[in-house]
Amino acid sequence: MGLFSNEKKVDYDKIVDKMLPDAKKEMDESQYDTELGLNMARDARKVISGKLKIEDFHKVYSSSLTKEFGNYYASGDGPDIRKGDGPKWAMVIDLKKCVGCDTCTVSCKAENRTPPGISYNVVMESLEGEFPNIKAVNLPRPCMQCDKPACAQVCPTRATYKMENGIVAIDNDRCIGCRYCIVACPYGARSFDFGESYEQEMQGANDVTSPEYGVERGNREKGKTPIGTVRKCSFCFHRLQRGEEPACVETCIGDARFFGDLNDPNSVVSKLAASPRAFRLKEELGTHPNVIYLR
Amino acid sequence: MANLAVDLKEKSTSKSKINVTLSKSFKIWISALTIAFLIGGYFIVERFFTGLAATNLSSITPWGAWIAFYIFFVGLSAGSFLLSTLIYVFGMEEYERVGKAALFTAIVCMIVALTFVLMDLGRPERMLNAIIYWNVTSPLAWEVHFYLVYIGLLTVELYIAMREDLVRAAKTNSLKGFVAKLITFKNATINAATKKRDHMWMKILGTVGIPLAILGVHGGTGTIFAVVKARPAWHTALFPIIFVVSAMVSGTALLLAMYIIKKKVQKQPIDQGMVVSLAKLMVGFLIIDLGLQFYEYLIGWYGLETEHLDTLATMMASEKAWSFWIVQMLMGAVIPITIVFWKKTSQNVNALLAAAVLIVIGIIGVRFNIVVPPLVVPVFHELPWGNYAPTIKEWMVSVGVVAMGLLIYSFGELLLPIEETSDEVSHNGK
Ligand code: SF4
Ligand code: SF4
Repeated sequence: MGLFSNEKKVDYDKIVDKMLPDAKKEMDESQYDTELGLNMARDARKVISGKLKIEDFHKVYSSSLTKEFGNYYASGDGPDIRKGDGPKWAMVIDLKKCVGCDTCTVSCKAENRTPPGISYNVVMESLEGEFPNIKAVNLPRPCMQCDKPACAQVCPTRATYKMENGIVAIDNDRCIGCRYCIVACPYGARSFDFGESYEQEMQGANDVTSPEYGVERGNREKGKTPIGTVRKCSFCFHRLQRGEEPACVETCIGDARFFGDLNDPNSVVSKLAASPRAFRLKEELGTHPNVIYLR
Repeated sequence: MANLAVDLKEKSTSKSKINVTLSKSFKIWISALTIAFLIGGYFIVERFFTGLAATNLSSITPWGAWIAFYIFFVGLSAGSFLLSTLIYVFGMEEYERVGKAALFTAIVCMIVALTFVLMDLGRPERMLNAIIYWNVTSPLAWEVHFYLVYIGLLTVELYIAMREDLVRAAKTNSLKGFVAKLITFKNATINAATKKRDHMWMKILGTVGIPLAILGVHGGTGTIFAVVKARPAWHTALFPIIFVVSAMVSGTALLLAMYIIKKKVQKQPIDQGMVVSLAKLMVGFLIIDLGLQFYEYLIGWYGLETEHLDTLATMMASEKAWSFWIVQMLMGAVIPITIVFWKKTSQNVNALLAAAVLIVIGIIGVRFNIVVPPLVVPVFHELPWGNYAPTIKEWMVSVGVVAMGLLIYSFGELLLPIEETSDEVSHNGK
């Protein structure tokens, strides 16, 4: 913290800007239309940040592109955007491999910077049978990202909703904190953020937060969202966006967790989900979880 | 609020035309309520700064005292409204004396109930989201809408029920007359035609209100719980029905108690016949309620589902079981039923008052036992169990909210012709 406190903050963006070539000069040198190129670059950034729909982008530029590139540009109505064709994320947990070390719980807390009292992932441990014929069962429990989520069903504000990629998301800026979803979740996967903090034990704990759902919220402060709302595992959506696996999958010491796309019949999770060892928790409730266990 | 009583007095002295005489007992009552409201108000403000950390709630037991009070007051409201329909729709004139009080109680109880919900939200400032982003599969979102429509309907109905009295009062020089002048039209009159019109509207609104109160407001509140398949003890089709019946029990008991207490304080004669028959009605509802509960517990127990058994055990055989056996069963059922049926007490107004008060308290116990035990038992046996008892702060906030409701009611009664004088009874509301 103290490193830059006395001097002006170094503006790294400026340094990068200096390195960039001048777009106008480059375009002038090329044989193509400068203005069109600059406009397309500007709008392409909008598409990436979600402010402009890709269909609209194509609509705007289709005719001028055909003019500019003729036969080379022959996409017609724009790319084929099929709905529901993306991945559907799922997790498989092999109970035979789980040793109950709680690494997933800890790495999840570290990754998502969850406050005291909130663990998105827990390992439920139990002993079955009578001594000496006993068996230890370790049952890791993240959010099941149900296909028919009871939590989203009851949420009065649609703050909890199912995304197309299968993940059940919470819009913490909309949630009113009624906690109906916590009551309704059959897996105990949800927690209310009462506003507690590790600041007492660890200086600066509030300064580091995790960009849940890719939203960077800055320091954890009293009364600031997500405090007062409900939180849960998001399959580390922010990591998926970077092409990384959820933290619990990556750190599992027994390699008991698998992560992948259930829509792809050749993915590891699809194959494991079809195994006779596969089962889901509380299947009788009809929530259809996307976390699949191997017994 | 403290100044309000003073204000009223000043008004009466400065504008000597309006004469207000506040009885001594009324002043004591108002001051006591104001003190309770101010103390509670401190904790309400504090709660908005600390958030829900002020409570003993957790992610295992996410709902507690405030939700219990919320369903308690929704129940009182639905119950007293349904009682008023007995008069205005089904023409049971013997209960005429409590008719308008029943409607006004129903409104105030709804206000109190919604205030409890507001206290309970993690983000109270976003409460309108439930209306803006209405999720049609959420019973809670439906309820918020039903409550608002219901309050609107009650207000219109109360206005029509009071209309004749307002018109009459507008001609007098009292405080009520002053208020009446503000809320009636200049040319409002009473004649046979308006009587017929008012009567017709009372019937229409009451009739629309019945399904709204039964299915929408209270059955719907039961539905909030009944749809939760994660909690087997709530997840039965009987649950919303029990809600409605217990609403009738508590609503009748509350009105009975209020009627007797008010008459006693004002030293006016008590209509003993009506009291006895209302008490019979109340206990009748209570017995139906007990019967339904019996089946509910029996079938849950017979199902041998672990969570359901654990919930029943938490309710009936844990260290908190006193709230089931003593509050819900002994105070809320056994004693009042005995009082109403035992020859020596069945005609005694004081004993019946005690029975009514006990039933109201008993229903508070019922509401706590609905909310808390199913949320103490975790959804997986390996997860930690809940351990919930309200904090002092939760109690104080509750005191503040209830005091607010009683203040609204008391001032309403002071300013509006809610109570009927006996000579008006015969030609009103019929
Ligand atoms: S496990 Fe619970 S929180 Fe997660 S999607 Fe299913 S019902 Fe919702
Ligand atoms: S607490 Fe938030 S996410 Fe949960 S049901 Fe209420 S509004 Fe929806």
